[in-house]
Amino acid sequence: MALLQLIARRLIQLAGVLLGISIVTFLLLHMAPGDPARLLAGDRASAETIAVIRSQYGLDLPLWRQFLTYLMNLFAGDIGQSLRFQRPVSQLIQQFMWPTLFLTVYVVCLAVPPTVALAIMSARKPGGTADQVIRLIGIAGLTIPVFWLGIMMSRLFGVSLGWFPVSGYGVGISEHLHHLFLPALSTAIWLVPVLTQSLRAALIEKTTADFVTAARAQGASEREIFWRTILPNAVLPTLNLLGVMVAFMIGGAIIVETIYAVPGLGTLMIGALLGRDYYVVQGLTLVFAMSTVLVTLAVDLLTAFIDPRVRL
Amino acid sequence: MSRTEDVTRPLLEVENLTVGLGEFDAVKAVSFHLQPGEILGIVGESGSGKSVTCRAAMGLLPGAARASGRVTLEGRDLLTLGEADWCAIRGRDIGMIFQNPASHLDPLRRIGKQIAAPMVRHLGIGRREGMRRAIQLLDDVGIREPEKRARSYPHEFSGGMKQRAMIAAAIGCGPKLLIADEPTTALDVTVQARILGLLKDLNRERGLAIILISHDLGVVADICSRVVVMRHGEVVEQGPIDDVINRPQHPYTRLLIDSQPSRKTYPGTKTEPEQAAPLLSVEKLSVSFPVRRDLIGGLASNGESFLALDGIDLQIAAGETVGIVGESGSGKSTLARAIIRQNRPSEGAIRLDGQDVHALGGDALTGFRRRVQMVFQNPYDSLNPRMTIAEAVAEPIWRHGLADRRTAQMQANELLEMVELPRALGDRMPRQLSGGQCQRVGLARALALKPQLLIADEITSALDVTTQAQILELLLRLQRERALTLLYISHDLSVVSGICQRVYVFKGGRIVENGSARQVLSAPQDPYTQELVRSLAQLGPVNPAPVFLPV
Repeated sequence: MALLQLIARRLIQLAGVLLGISIVTFLLLHMAPGDPARLLAGDRASAETIAVIRSQYGLDLPLWRQFLTYLMNLFAGDIGQSLRFQRPVSQLIQQFMWPTLFLTVYVVCLAVPPTVALAIMSARKPGGTADQVIRLIGIAGLTIPVFWLGIMMSRLFGVSLGWFPVSGYGVGISEHLHHLFLPALSTAIWLVPVLTQSLRAALIEKTTADFVTAARAQGASEREIFWRTILPNAVLPTLNLLGVMVAFMIGGAIIVETIYAVPGLGTLMIGALLGRDYYVVQGLTLVFAMSTVLVTLAVDLLTAFIDPRVRL
Repeated sequence: MSRTEDVTRPLLEVENLTVGLGEFDAVKAVSFHLQPGEILGIVGESGSGKSVTCRAAMGLLPGAARASGRVTLEGRDLLTLGEADWCAIRGRDIGMIFQNPASHLDPLRRIGKQIAAPMVRHLGIGRREGMRRAIQLLDDVGIREPEKRARSYPHEFSGGMKQRAMIAAAIGCGPKLLIADEPTTALDVTVQARILGLLKDLNRERGLAIILISHDLGVVADICSRVVVMRHGEVVEQGPIDDVINRPQHPYTRLLIDSQPSRKTYPGTKTEPEQAAPLLSVEKLSVSFPVRRDLIGGLASNGESFLALDGIDLQIAAGETVGIVGESGSGKSTLARAIIRQNRPSEGAIRLDGQDVHALGGDALTGFRRRVQMVFQNPYDSLNPRMTIAEAVAEPIWRHGLADRRTAQMQANELLEMVELPRALGDRMPRQLSGGQCQRVGLARALALKPQLLIADEITSALDVTTQAQILELLLRLQRERALTLLYISHDLSVVSGICQRVYVFKGGRIVENGSARQVLSAPQDPYTQELVRSLAQLGPVNPAPVFLPV
């Protein structure tokens, strides 16, 4: 019951957050330098032409009227027209969204199992050999820049060995898996150490918790204590961290997508920014913000599902 | 097996048990034994090795600890067992409950499941049957609506209920022995009495042998038939409870007994103050806290609040020692915090010499801060961990501009001497001191400004009973020498009645009774005060508790 109440409460809050997001994205574009009307009309357009375009696009209206129009269009699912592609932004985003989402899920699938395994190995004997080695490798993984790793791996596995394609997305699930393996791996190499350190710390802390002693005093075996008591209690901080990371990846896969030429949101974003395709930038900002909000919501609900104390 | 054999052969025998933790032996050659169906008390201060002894008997020592000697359960040597054998014994033959029930329950699992888990594990019953028995056990340990409560999570239980749930989980498999490690220390005194009653009932009805570990001789005397007194890892005395209490052989046992608040008489506190205008008067004071507010809730239920104090009237005359008693949540600390302006009253006023404390500002406020000082419950938390104790004591002096830093430092040294701390300790950090020493520092710091009114909020509840007695003696000496007015707040009625002239009893934010200490203790009027007085674990003339035979 409390869980349903929490979901209801969070959904109501979500409405407010979304309104805030729409205001910010709207204002962001208006504060950005450059005049979209001039861009549309071209460099040699006369003042009259620009004025015509202004009134045609409603750019001469007061700001609040523009915002209202923008909001109405949002509700209708219309987030504008790409100036460069001459297509609706929503269509563009739909087209470019799937590779990014696929990549994100792929990264999570690649990152979570080694994270759990490495964290357990580290936490079993803090300061022991395994712990030290894992930490060193982790620091190495963290410090190597993603773009350098990406380039090196695409040269080695893609060009020299020819095991994996170095660009594109392919058709069908198996080709996606094949094409996106290198980008997913180079992201995971950086993600795993972060998550491992978080989970390791929580595991070590919970190992000495009083309720673990109590479980031991009730005759639970070490294996049972670990899986039923320590791990569920330790997993929450890492889950929240993973949520932040996933939200970040949806919006921040720019480097990896650019290096491996994945036709995802990051690639679209770069193109739109360089081409001053304002409505695409606005639409993408909206999508990134919304995906962050949704991922956070999902993590919060998952947290509440695991930890009853959060449900209050 | 004949019955006589059953009685003569001890259930648990500990012989020459020595436990080393690193360089240092936490337990040195300890021997005692426990008959089936008996309740044995182990008493000692923190660090006396009593918990380590029992953890050795449960195989729950930390990895680095080495145990030697013999611990046998019904003739079976426990110290040589492997981990798998231990798992079969823990929870099955020996159950254990702990000091802080809140942290010993898994916060993520329902109470019913946690109680059922040991039974499912050891008795080979199904989950459904485990749940059915868990509900029965909850009923047995006195939890109302057990079906509903079995589906609750630990955070939905009160402290006493959590301890009952721990007990239910520990006795589910019908163990022969229950080790209770300070089971009531974290609980309010009335709850403590009920939990001890429950343990006594379980002992009588199920023939459950119990080892009760406590720092409180009063608690042990209440329900144990025999007692082992430990100090510095050694057994200094053991025997039947009335022998030990009425004819203690060892000086340390005598000290423990004399330190009991109910036994202790403090000199020179019972003088009647002359009747004058009260120094501090609290008039119809109410303090309310907003109930948790979030974005939506705050809009929907505007300003719903919780009344921590509800119309309190209270006077303290100059030179008087006034006690406030109540359990956690009764509002006694809220009052203290309201007096020192940490909580704003929602109604009513607090007047010091007729001036409304909460209307003060500027110099008058600084003057007020000098006149009223407070000592806090947790001696470690209330001292800055990065300051030496001499600096901590000197700080208020120079901050209030009473002296420059060097003079303040010298005054601080005098103050430390006054609270009987060796001068050499002045350069130590709080964590290098014992709890009792830290509390002396807290006292010295509070007295640095030469206050008129000193508020002591549970200043001894984190301390051992012998240390508590020393701190109280010091407090009363200082009060006499400096003509302090003292407001002493405690959950322990026996301490309060031992040192205070007048007592206010708090419950649920109201005063339910007040009067002279002697009168409140000997002829309590309010039902709650009567319960408080009854639940005092007294070290009076002890009725020898019979040894209960297994049925």
